[in-house]
Amino acid sequence: MIDSANQNARANILGSIRAHLGSSRSGGTPPALNNIRATASENGSSEQTGSKIEVFKAQLEAVNGHCLIAQTELEIVHALTRIMTHLKQTELDPKRVAVSDARGLERLVRLIAVQLDEVTVSPSASDLFSFDVGITTAQAAIAETGTLVLDSSRERHRLISLVPPVHIAIIDAANIYSTLGETLALLHKDGNVSPIVSFVTGPSRTADIELTLAIGVHGPQELYVIVNEGQPLALV
Amino acid sequence: MNHLTAETFDENAKAALTDTHLRGALRNATSLFGERRRAAAASLNNWEDLRTQARAIKDETLSHLDEYLMQFVGNAESRGVQFHWAENAAAANEIICGITAKSGAITVVKSKSMTTEETHLNDALENTGVKVVETDLGEYIIQLAHETPSHIIAPAIHKTKAQIAELFTSELGSEPTEDIAELTRTARETLRDRFAAADVGISGVNFGIAETGTILIVENEGNIRLTTSLPRIHIAVMGIEKVIPRFADVDVFLKLLPRSGTGQRLTAYQSFITGVKSHPDDEGPDEVHVVVLDNGRSRMLAHPVTRQSLACIRCGACLNACPVYQQIGGHAYGSVYPGPIGAVITPQLMGLEKAAKLPYASSLCGACREVCPVKIDIPQLLLHLRGEITQGATETVSQPARRQAEKLAFRIWAKVMTNPKLYELTTRLSRSLQWIVVRDGKIRDKPTTQMFSALAAWTSGRDLRPLETTSFRERWKTELSRGEEQ
Repeated sequence: MIDSANQNARANILGSIRAHLGSSRSGGTPPALNNIRATASENGSSEQTGSKIEVFKAQLEAVNGHCLIAQTELEIVHALTRIMTHLKQTELDPKRVAVSDARGLERLVRLIAVQLDEVTVSPSASDLFSFDVGITTAQAAIAETGTLVLDSSRERHRLISLVPPVHIAIIDAANIYSTLGETLALLHKDGNVSPIVSFVTGPSRTADIELTLAIGVHGPQELYVIVNEGQPLALV
Repeated sequence: MNHLTAETFDENAKAALTDTHLRGALRNATSLFGERRRAAAASLNNWEDLRTQARAIKDETLSHLDEYLMQFVGNAESRGVQFHWAENAAAANEIICGITAKSGAITVVKSKSMTTEETHLNDALENTGVKVVETDLGEYIIQLAHETPSHIIAPAIHKTKAQIAELFTSELGSEPTEDIAELTRTARETLRDRFAAADVGISGVNFGIAETGTILIVENEGNIRLTTSLPRIHIAVMGIEKVIPRFADVDVFLKLLPRSGTGQRLTAYQSFITGVKSHPDDEGPDEVHVVVLDNGRSRMLAHPVTRQSLACIRCGACLNACPVYQQIGGHAYGSVYPGPIGAVITPQLMGLEKAAKLPYASSLCGACREVCPVKIDIPQLLLHLRGEITQGATETVSQPARRQAEKLAFRIWAKVMTNPKLYELTTRLSRSLQWIVVRDGKIRDKPTTQMFSALAAWTSGRDLRPLETTSFRERWKTELSRGEEQ
């Protein structure tokens, strides 16, 4: 019965669309717009002329994110250690650390030279609320906007990247793309899109009170990105 | 005090104009948003091309809306999304209340959605005994205060931090503080428990991508990601016009929307949701429902002028640019959608008779058209709607005599203005007779006399100076002859 009501409503809405479009609809199949699509890249200002990594770093820092660059696996561990050491001196003391199931990630986190109370891979959603830091990788990044691209069908990081007050992400330098358009094409290259893809540009923010910027409302308050210029993490 | 209606727009606006605090807040907000928008648009070298493209994409979609909508629905359905069709607000609320009731939900978390504001979903859900929690900070503040949004993207723009601090202290029992970071933290902590407890998350939709069946939602706070990731059930509510054809079209709209709305290159988060999760163990909700709402939208397709209204991507740029909105704010419009876009959408959604004053809440300066990222010609729409309103008014019996008089007056005026002799005669005559309607040095009729009711109506909001004792022509003649004498 509910189904038939739904069917009726659907028929009525589509009928109303067709009736109101009437004769004014342009006939036949929709025209291809590809020919009018301009390439909408950012202006060639000085910050855009550097390497993709430099541009990414500059853009990320412009939105209150932090960017560290590592040449080797050891440097990634050093970077993680530096971040944790810094956090220890703040109110964001990293006692409980959640790690995603990305290949090779847990091993690196276990090498951090800072005393952590707990390191757990993929804690449950309800547990996650009491974690202090979430560490994940990112599947891609967009240089021109300083954006991380998280494809949660390839890594269990939908919540680890979101719930704890600190998010640390490692991105392989080879997966940084110059433009938004390029990245969108990549996400859609086999005609399908993963069930959940999240773009992350800086920490969570709001300006809802007197238009004053406040960082860290519902998502992370701190976002650290480690760019891995060495061998891709999954291959280590 | 904030639940104003569009019917009382004139009174609402007058009251808003006396609220010095509100006007200060509006001045700050609209000028800041305006500056940021200009700077962000300038960071692209082809802003105008992008606007043209975005509009072309929207026009293409709207002229084939049934096809693109069905393509979107088909692709999302094949990925496990359940679709529900709602012809009006009541039907949408009934559907959503049905899903929540069936799930046994006690708490519902919501992320900002203008569409659910339009249907007054919260009231409907609360009536079924469900607790609804708005999670966008601005929406949460106004929910606690039992108010309505006053701006599309900054709903609590009208409230000061002192008012918010007071509200948090009385409603949440938090320590009194006017520190904005502290207030934000209080909201975060309180809402975390709600997120953890919620069975259903309700969101809006920014774009429905036909080619892939993807829902795209744009935000800064992270509450949309939580709303769509944590609860067992996600319900997304979308107007029929939210469809865009191709995945690649996202490029254009993601460049325009954040820049026009908040002046950002990109907002902090974009969620691309394509169907339900592929494995039961994956993160995310078990069920994804999409409610497709018409509620008067399909009617707007009928005319090319009104059809443009459906191209709106709800960025709020026209509000910030509008000299009327800048003075009176969002509440005065008495509608979910305020500002220039509200003045054209509201009468079309609610009916002209309920919002007949809104299309006149504009000086037709065109600032809204200048900033619109999808090039909606709002002044053209306003004039179109004014035309429909006057047309409608002549058909009703209320003031046929006055309409006739007005028509006659304009016919006479045209005659006089095209005949120099007649013009001179008329001005002479007017000059000697204008004392009848001149009060305090201005032409106006006292409400007590109402000798010329049409004139009284016209001058009630305008200052009209009386004619000078000598005309320009006369002065020209006398001054010229005086010059020759010397």
